[in-house]
Amino acid sequence: MAPLRRLLPLLPALALALGPTATAGGERRRRRLLALGEAEELSASLWGAGLPGDLPELEPECRRLLAAFAEGSAALAGCLGRRARPVRLCQACHRHHRRLLAQYASIARAVGNSSESHNCAKSILTSDRLQVVVMLSEFFNETWEAANCANCLKNSSEGLSNSTVEFLDLFNKSLTCFERNLQGQAINLSPDNYTEVCKNCNASYKMLNDLYNNLQRMNRQGGESGHSAHLCIDVEDAMNITRKLWSRTFNCSVPCSDTVPVIAVSSFILFLPIVFYLSSFLHSKQKKRILILPKRIQSNASLVNIQEKYS
Amino acid sequence: NEDVRELETELPRQYPNEIPHNEKLLSLKYESLDYDNSENQLFLEEERRINHAAFRTVEIKRWVICAMIGILTGLVACFIDIVVENLAGLKYRVVKDNIDKFTEKGGLSFSLLLWATLNASVVMVGSVIVAFIEPVAAGSGIPQIKCYLNGVKIPHVVRLKTLVIKVCGVILSVVGGLAVGKEGPMIHSGAVIAAGISQGRSTSLKRDFKVGLEECFCLVFAGGVLFSLEEGASFWNQFLTWRIFFASMISTFTLNSVLSVYHGNAWDLSSPGLINFGRFDNEKMGYTIQEIPIFIFMGVVGGILGALFNALNYWLTMFRIRYIHRPCLQVVEAMLVAAVTAAVGFVMIYCSRDCQPIQGSSVAYPLQLFCADGEYNSMATAFFNTPEKSVVNLFHDPPGSYNPMTLGMFTLMYFFLACWTYGLTVSAGVFIPSLLIGAAWGRLFGISLSYLTKGSIWADPGKYALMGAAAQLGGIVRMTLSLTVIMMEATGNVTYGFPIMLVLMTAKIVGDYFVEGLYDMHIQLQSVPFLHWEAPVTSHSLTAREVMSTPVTCLRRIERVGTVVDILSDTSSNHNGFPVVESNPDATQVAGLRGLILRSQLIVLLKHKVFVERANLNLVQRRLKLKDFRDAYPRFPPIQSIHVSQDERECMIDLSEFMNPSPYTVPQEASLPRVFKLFRALGLRHLVVVDNRNEVVGMVTRKDLARYRLGKEGLEELSLAQT
Repeated sequence: MAPLRRLLPLLPALALALGPTATAGGERRRRRLLALGEAEELSASLWGAGLPGDLPELEPECRRLLAAFAEGSAALAGCLGRRARPVRLCQACHRHHRRLLAQYASIARAVGNSSESHNCAKSILTSDRLQVVVMLSEFFNETWEAANCANCLKNSSEGLSNSTVEFLDLFNKSLTCFERNLQGQAINLSPDNYTEVCKNCNASYKMLNDLYNNLQRMNRQGGESGHSAHLCIDVEDAMNITRKLWSRTFNCSVPCSDTVPVIAVSSFILFLPIVFYLSSFLHSKQKKRILILPKRIQSNASLVNIQEKYS
Repeated sequence: NEDVRELETELPRQYPNEIPHNEKLLSLKYESLDYDNSENQLFLEEERRINHAAFRTVEIKRWVICAMIGILTGLVACFIDIVVENLAGLKYRVVKDNIDKFTEKGGLSFSLLLWATLNASVVMVGSVIVAFIEPVAAGSGIPQIKCYLNGVKIPHVVRLKTLVIKVCGVILSVVGGLAVGKEGPMIHSGAVIAAGISQGRSTSLKRDFKVGLEECFCLVFAGGVLFSLEEGASFWNQFLTWRIFFASMISTFTLNSVLSVYHGNAWDLSSPGLINFGRFDNEKMGYTIQEIPIFIFMGVVGGILGALFNALNYWLTMFRIRYIHRPCLQVVEAMLVAAVTAAVGFVMIYCSRDCQPIQGSSVAYPLQLFCADGEYNSMATAFFNTPEKSVVNLFHDPPGSYNPMTLGMFTLMYFFLACWTYGLTVSAGVFIPSLLIGAAWGRLFGISLSYLTKGSIWADPGKYALMGAAAQLGGIVRMTLSLTVIMMEATGNVTYGFPIMLVLMTAKIVGDYFVEGLYDMHIQLQSVPFLHWEAPVTSHSLTAREVMSTPVTCLRRIERVGTVVDILSDTSSNHNGFPVVESNPDATQVAGLRGLILRSQLIVLLKHKVFVERANLNLVQRRLKLKDFRDAYPRFPPIQSIHVSQDERECMIDLSEFMNPSPYTVPQEASLPRVFKLFRALGLRHLVVVDNRNEVVGMVTRKDLARYRLGKEGLEELSLAQT
């Protein structure tokens, strides 16, 4: 329970919270109650009055920060949810994320300022067991990390990086190419036959694929030991969709299977050891060991005796 | 084979008798090590001079030596690890690029040829250096070290040349894509380093030689301590254990520091040791009591498969010893195995239709082949990789990464490949391949189990892969204690300690029912006179009289030089120790045993011409010291290199100062187990048999004891053979 002396400067805030119905008399009553240590009654009275559950300690400034954070996280959560499929998280939500980071930072930064704002960081972030604000912020950060969004944003995380923009351009180009050719195909009415698409869009698909592989290689080389080797989820998902369309739906990547030469070569190699072992069995001279008679008292019978005895 | 048998039956037994190589032989090639101190007068005098402080410095030196052994072993292990990683990476990248190129255009047979040729040529180099330069570096090296600890001197086994060949050989054979691992050779390298350091420094520490020998077993992981405890050490004490543990830890530390610098995060020493199969998460992968019968069942399967592996390898090794004994044939064989390994791998990958989506960089060399874009061939993760990485993949890939079909085919193929590979003339171990076989069928087992139980949570395939690996390894090499520790250590998991132990025990019991362990089998096939812990159980009725060799070449206490030279030069009886008897001219008294003198000591005496006549003429500048004997150690010159003139042959030599005046003796009536116990526990090389008048009647050596063995039909006697 907060001591009275600390409550005094908070009075205006409380007044704000209680709204116009709060009167000086009510205030006095509350102080008396606090002095008596009847906190339950206080909270009951607050709840009973239909008041918001804010703790009385919260300054207006902190309240503002908290509200901003709440809005920011709601916006980010909404954005993440809406952009979940097809995945466009990093492109669409990086502004939200940046803003949320800034808001969280301004809550946390208040630690060193003055005694009042000291209260602010402390009361919002660390004064209860649950620490919802910290939890939320951690959740968003983890999601962001898992999505590897930092990978396709600029270093200062303002906007998409050049390679990502280039990739997305190519991706859009390939998609439009697919679309155009599929429309042409629809007239032919042969759903299993996508040769047109394969032929016409091969160039753009190849470019896209190569660019993706390049990005991946660069990422793996530049990646520190702590950094994961993933590209950002937007790029990965875009590539996945395209690859699936290309090789599953359109069935464009049909590799040459040359089974006959492979079987021929492998059976030739497998045949070699047989020849080797047979020839060494037939031609190699078997290694012989020369027995040496041990110098021993002639008592061969004894061993025989033992064996008879024991068998 | 058959006409040989006919010959034998037709001809009467004649000497020398030639027979094909078989398992019931003892080779003359192997001699014992001299563990026992020769407690002669020189030794006693020196011992009296050494004061307390000198003993202290010796003690400190021992610790320094241990630390050095640890550091060097760690560095060698590191070197092997890094070179293998880079070279194998290079090879797989080249082949992968080639396959990727030819998948589009056709002509995959060229990729196959490229892969096979690369493998074969790398293995050729590795096999040539082993076959032509140092044949003792072949194989895993553990059998040889086991013999060495047992007290058998395998020629060249702890030479520097062997170390170099072993290290290069193992790198080349792993890079060559054979179904081999690099752990056994690392153990051997550690042993060579240990023996080398303790020998090189031990001019003043000859006493430590025995200790140094056992420090061989500083493995790179702490399991090594237990390994030596389990495997051979005939002389074990607390200090030794602690010192070896110290050396192991130093070695792990060295390895970690070097690897941390290599991987770019210097001084992060928490990266686990050499064998590391990744950490099993405790919370996700607990086990319950219901699973224990399943684990035991897996142990049984592992034991049976291990026995099958050993039996197949037995026949193959026998064939190799008999027919493929020329070095060039051995090289060709190794190359063929390498090519076939590549071909089998390629065909398996080619035929597999098991495609999995790429997840990040979990797969080192994802081969797409006929899979859709963005997917990789799942068979390729198993075959197109170094065996060690494949084991890690099998342990840790999430459920559903492998088709049961893929795993089944892989197990089958790899089983035969590994069995075929072990015993080639390349330097390579069997640890990792057996783990890999076990992990594959264990994972298969886990998958089918979760299929049968309709996907219960506890049937995680990774866990069963671990158990399968333990079972298979236990079934093949039959070590229990050290394997349990190593498996626990390699997976960083203590929770599975009990199930792993159960599995290993079951596998060992089941496997021992059929055939013996792989290492023991190879020791036997090499005709090594290996002494087991105890004498065969049914040997009580044999006495020393029947066991010993007789007659014994004895020397008199004051012997003519010519006689000594003649005895030493006699090639037909290449004895090493000679009982010294009283030299009394009249034949009425018996010539009682006075002492024992070694060949090496005699040679040093002859070299320095310590003859009675010269001493009388004051020709000898100084008395011979113990140092003179030590300087010649460990390579004494052969008798042929010592020149003794005709005049000197007539001189006399007085042995009483140099012989060991208190050799161990047994009476004729002592039973074989008693003799055996004395011999084994003290690490003797010669045991003189005397009658009740203290007259030498015979000599028991290692080969006399090792020839009795408990076979299928009771006690068997092995025959001596020239190899």
